Amino acid sequence: MKHPQKNKKPSIAELQKENLELKEANSRYVRHIRDKVNQLLQVMGTLPLNPEELDDSTLLDFDPIGIVAVAFDQVLDHLRETNRELVIARDELQAIFDATGVGISIINTDFKIIKCNEKQRELLVDSDISDIEGRYCYDVYCGKESPGLDCPAIDTMATGRSVIIREVEKKGKHFQIVTTPFKDGEGNIVGVIEVLLDITEKKRAEDAEKMQRGFYLAEKSKLATVIESLSDGLFVTDKEGKIVSFNNAASRITGYSAAEVAGLPCNKFFSMLSGSMPVIEMNKNTELNIQTRDDRQLILSITSALVKNSEGENIGKVFTFRDITEEKQRQEVYHRTEKLVALGQLSAGIAHELNTPLGSILGYARLLMKNKKLDPVQKERLEIIAEQAKRSSEIIKGLLNFARQSNPSLRNMKNASINNILTDVLRLLQTEIEKYGIDVMTNFGEIPAIKVDVRQIEQAMLNIMLNAIQAVKNNGEIRIKTFAENNSIKIEFSDNGQGIPEDVKPRIFDPFFTTKPVGEGTGLGLSISAGIISEHGGSIDVESTEGNGATFTITLPVNNSEV
Amino acid sequence: MENREIKNLDILGQACPACLLVALREINENRDRLKKGDIEIVIRTDHRDATRTIPDSAKAMGYAVDIKRIGTYYEIKIGKRK
Repeated sequence: MKHPQKNKKPSIAELQKENLELKEANSRYVRHIRDKVNQLLQVMGTLPLNPEELDDSTLLDFDPIGIVAVAFDQVLDHLRETNRELVIARDELQAIFDATGVGISIINTDFKIIKCNEKQRELLVDSDISDIEGRYCYDVYCGKESPGLDCPAIDTMATGRSVIIREVEKKGKHFQIVTTPFKDGEGNIVGVIEVLLDITEKKRAEDAEKMQRGFYLAEKSKLATVIESLSDGLFVTDKEGKIVSFNNAASRITGYSAAEVAGLPCNKFFSMLSGSMPVIEMNKNTELNIQTRDDRQLILSITSALVKNSEGENIGKVFTFRDITEEKQRQEVYHRTEKLVALGQLSAGIAHELNTPLGSILGYARLLMKNKKLDPVQKERLEIIAEQAKRSSEIIKGLLNFARQSNPSLRNMKNASINNILTDVLRLLQTEIEKYGIDVMTNFGEIPAIKVDVRQIEQAMLNIMLNAIQAVKNNGEIRIKTFAENNSIKIEFSDNGQGIPEDVKPRIFDPFFTTKPVGEGTGLGLSISAGIISEHGGSIDVESTEGNGATFTITLPVNNSEV
Repeated sequence: MENREIKNLDILGQACPACLLVALREINENRDRLKKGDIEIVIRTDHRDATRTIPDSAKAMGYAVDIKRIGTYYEIKIGKRK
């Protein structure tokens, strides 16, 4: 810029020129300011100022550089703040990275370790290796010279997906490994993040548990085999009394399958068996009459005990039972036999003592009857005496028979056919059968010959047949059936008579028990039959409902070696 | 935040002076209170460029910016970043 000389006044033209020069310079400065402001605004990342919006003088009045400078100060402030936050965040992340319970390492696509945390070092890095960044992961972590085929990092790099390996053994420890892709800002896979969880302890515990479970399973199956092979019925209930276990023998005895009773409350089960819940004392045998599912009547001996867990708490009950039906029947037979033996001895004594006086009465009565001086009334009375004496003698004979059959030394055993014996008996009864017009139907099966005292068996069957004839009386029906079953022979006598009342049934085999009017029956017939069959190792069963006839079934063993 | 002051800066129809500089000056003057969250500046402008330049600068300074179009103009809210 030129300055006017002091000693010379400038001309108008000079001043005009100077003014023009000054204006130009001024405009250049303002443009410079505008440019610089725009440059600064661009640095801030915004659009430049529009000259139409802001003329030069307003621009200068506005102090744009001052405004932008303060704005910059704020931007810098913000950046410093952000930086500080980033540093804190980085430190926090590093701390988390190192403090986490899993091993973490980042590996690049060349399998070089970029970063790894403290836990990873502790788990897999040998203590003499200090500088691991930049080394190959398969060398440091797996002790190999190249990545293994099972390396999950290879998969993740190839597919971009996470891979989990549930269990892998490295350096004597067990791990679970998860690899996830590590991507750059554009989403390219630049490496793999590998997370390593030490499951050695867990695996050890699992193995121990597996072993223990195996032991318990073996014990359980042993116990189950023992329970299933028991000959006694056994079932177990839970705390609520519901059946949880039911063995083979229990099924066999009761006829119910384990599946049918599973979950059933035990009192309901007992109701099904016996109609009510019996009182079963702990560790004591209780006798219980039951009806099985297939309608067999059985007597059970049942006992129960508490089941406790390892802490001694009650967790249920165990019931065991045994079918004592046959045992009871045998006992009854034994008692009856004993009774018969006693009665037999008594009867024999009495019979022997009475036979002589009775013979005298009969003899003298007959002698007197020959006296022609007697009037008809006297004669008739003598006939009654003789007849009654004869009848008494018959009773005595019965008693002697009764006494004889209880005396084993008098038995005469030989092989015989039961069918033949029955034919003989029917022949003996022919007159009686015809007299009443009874229809006798026979169905003799093929049965083996067995060793019996023919006379006695004949007697036993005769008595049963006589009983049946008396029961059916006129125009009745009697069916006789013989068959072999389970190593024994069965002889069934069925009649269509009036049947046997319930209250009478248990007593029909008792000696001197009769339903006939006094003087008509001795009450010894069935008792003698029962005695004979029992002596042969067999049994007589009777089934009858009042009004519907009766069936007597004689069972005789085929191999009656005891006889 | 309930007691926050709302400062309205209406530069509707103003072509000149440049909206950005006006907005920056306002932000500069209130920088401390803005940082604390005591104040929120609401700028109304119908200048389309301003909807880019003002938010860009405010964001660079670390403020939260919210732009809404209301009828014929824009409302730019500048406040403390959450």
